[in-house]
Amino acid sequence: MSARNDILSAIRDRQVKSAPAPPEYHAPTPANLVQAFAHRAQLASAEVRFIDSEADAPEMIADLLRARNLPAVVHVPLSCTSLPWHRTPGLTIDVASPGPDDAAVAIAPFGIAETGTLAYPSRADSPASWHFCAGFEIAVLRADAILPHIETVIGRLKASGLPSTINFVTGPSRTGDIEQTLELGAHGPKALTILIVRA
Amino acid sequence: MTADPRKFPEASRAALRDPALRIALGRLRTHFALGRAQAVERYPDWEDLRESGRAIRDYALAHLDTLLLRFEQNVQASGGHVHWARDAREARDIVLAILRDAAAKTVIKGKSMLSEEVGLNHFLAANGIETVETDLGEYIVQLRGEPPSHIIAPAFHLNKEDVARTFRDAHDTLDPERPLTERSDLVAEARRVLRARFESADAGVTGANFLTADEGAAVLVTNEGNGDLTRLLPKTHIVLTGLEKIVASLEHAAVLLRLLTRSATGQDISSYVTVMRGPCAGAESDAGKNFHIVLVDNGRTPLLGTEAEDVLRCIRCAACLNHCPVYAAVGGHAYGATYTGPIGAALNPGLMGVHAARHHATASTFCGRCAEVCPVKIPLPAIMRYWRAREYASGLAPKTATAGVGIWAFFAKRPALYAVAAMIAARVLKLLSRDGRIHGLPLMRNWFTVRDFPAPQGRTFQQLWAKRQ
Repeated sequence: MSARNDILSAIRDRQVKSAPAPPEYHAPTPANLVQAFAHRAQLASAEVRFIDSEADAPEMIADLLRARNLPAVVHVPLSCTSLPWHRTPGLTIDVASPGPDDAAVAIAPFGIAETGTLAYPSRADSPASWHFCAGFEIAVLRADAILPHIETVIGRLKASGLPSTINFVTGPSRTGDIEQTLELGAHGPKALTILIVRA
Repeated sequence: MTADPRKFPEASRAALRDPALRIALGRLRTHFALGRAQAVERYPDWEDLRESGRAIRDYALAHLDTLLLRFEQNVQASGGHVHWARDAREARDIVLAILRDAAAKTVIKGKSMLSEEVGLNHFLAANGIETVETDLGEYIVQLRGEPPSHIIAPAFHLNKEDVARTFRDAHDTLDPERPLTERSDLVAEARRVLRARFESADAGVTGANFLTADEGAAVLVTNEGNGDLTRLLPKTHIVLTGLEKIVASLEHAAVLLRLLTRSATGQDISSYVTVMRGPCAGAESDAGKNFHIVLVDNGRTPLLGTEAEDVLRCIRCAACLNHCPVYAAVGGHAYGATYTGPIGAALNPGLMGVHAARHHATASTFCGRCAEVCPVKIPLPAIMRYWRAREYASGLAPKTATAGVGIWAFFAKRPALYAVAAMIAARVLKLLSRDGRIHGLPLMRNWFTVRDFPAPQGRTFQQLWAKRQ
C-alpha cells in the first residue's frame, strides 16, 4: 500500500472522537480603525506618517531618506512607477530588486487595525521578495483600506480570488534569538515606515 | 550534552551543575513568561479565544482524513505537489528525491522542528547536500553542532559571548579584529553572511505553522523574514510538516495565530505571517517555481483515539516549556529529544516509544502550570499520567518504585491497617525529625541529598480530619 493510503486508513481506523464545527470567532473590533492601526503599528516599531494624497509620497520619501542619512535612492516596483517621482528631482529611482541596505517602496492594498499589519497579496508588479530583501521599507496605505481583522482581509481576497502568496507584515524584521533580547533587522528590513493616505 | 532520551536523569544532573545554563534559564521568567502574561492581559477575552482554539483543533483532528484530502486537492489545483511520509525515513527520502530532481547542491532552511525530528540535515549532508539554517538561533546551534534547546528559541542556552566566539570561529574570512560585543553586531553579521547564502542556494526547506484545507495553503509565522526568503529566492521550495498541522480554513488559522504569537513571544502578531498557496504566481520576478509539501506522520496517527490524542492539538508555542519548573531547572538539551518540557513529556513517549522516553513523562511535579497556559487547553499532566500508567503496565518502571507502590497499595486497600500504620509512621517520623523537619530516611539517601520535608507532629491526616468533622 502507498504511504498515502496507509496513513489515511490508519486515521480512519482510529478516529473515534467527534467534534462539532466550531462557532465562528469574532475578535473584538477597535472603535477607530485608522487610529488603532497607527497605534498598533508603532507598538511594533513601525514609523507612521500621514499624507494627504498618494502624490505626496515621493516628497515624503525623500524627507525620510534625508532624515536617516541614507542615499537619495529608492527602489520602486512596477506597481509604484505611476507615482509622481519626477516632482522630486533629487530622488533617484531604481527598478531593480533592492539589496539589504537599500530603501524600497510598496503599496499595501490592505491594513489590519487589530494588529497594525500590512497585507500584501502577491502580484506580478509587486514582488513578495521585496518586502524581505530591502533594508528600509516604505509602505503607502490608503486610510480607507484599513480593515478591522485579518479575517476581513482574507474575506476580501477570497471574493476576488486568492493569490499564490499573501504577506502579512507587522513592523520591521526582528529576532530575540540572542539572550531573548529584541534586535531589529534580522533578515528583512531594519526599519519600516508606513505612509497613511488620509481618506 | 546527550541526544539520548534514556540518559535524561544523568543529563539533568549535569545540567543542574552548569552555571551558564542557570543564567540562561533565568530568562524564562523575565522574558518569555512575563511577555506572555502581558499579552494575555491586553487581550479582551483570552479564555473565549482559548476555547475557540481548542474547538478548532479538535474539529481538525476529528476530521483529519477529509481535511487532508481536501488540502491535497487544493494544493494540486494551485500547481503544488503533496507527498505523504509514514515515518522519518520516508520523509528524508522524499526530500532527497525532490532535491536530486532539482539538481540541488545547497539548501537553505527556515526553522522546522519536524526537520529536527526526522534528522534531515545529517541525512542530506551524508548525501552530499549542504544545508544552511537561516533562523538566527538555528544558525548558531548548527555552527556549534548542537541541537536546538528550546522549541522557539534554539540558542536559548547561550549568551552573546558564546555566539561571538562561534561566529569568530565560523566566519574565519572576516576581519578577526572586528567588534562583536553587542547583540546588534552579531545580528548584522549573520544578516550579511546569510544573505549571500540565500542568493546562491538551489532550494529552500521550511516548516509550516498551519495547513488550511479549504485554501490548500501553508501558513508560516516568523519574525526574522528568513522563512520568506527561503521560499522566495530559490527555485524549489519544500514545506516539511507534521500532518496534524491541518485546520479547516484560513479563518480557523487566524484564530490560532492570535493564540500562538501571544503564547510564544508575547507578541500580538509576529512580524511576518505568510500564506503560501502553491508556487508563486508565474509572472512574479521572484517566483519559487516548484512547490512541494511533505506531510509526515511519524507516530502521530497512532495517538488518535488514545488518552494521549489531545497532545496533537499542540501548535508548538512553547508556553508550557516557559512555565515548567522542570524545564527551568534542566533546560532543553538534557531531554535528548526534539520536543522538550511538558510537550515533550506528553508527546515523546508516543513518538519515540514509552521505553525510550519514559523519563520525560516521569519528570513532572504535576504543578499543572503547563495546562493552565496551554493556548489550546491540552491536559498535559493527564497525558503524562497516561504514559506513566503505560510505563508501569509494561513493566518498565524501576523495581524499587514498583515495590514501593506495591507496599503502599497493600495498606491503602486495607483502611483499618492503613490507619494503624499511618499512626505508627507519624510518631516514628516525629522522633526522627530535627528542627521539625525530616532530613534523611533509610534507603532514600539520594532523595534527601537536595531535599527535606516537614515532619508530622504526631497525629495522622485521618485523625486530624476526623477531629475537624
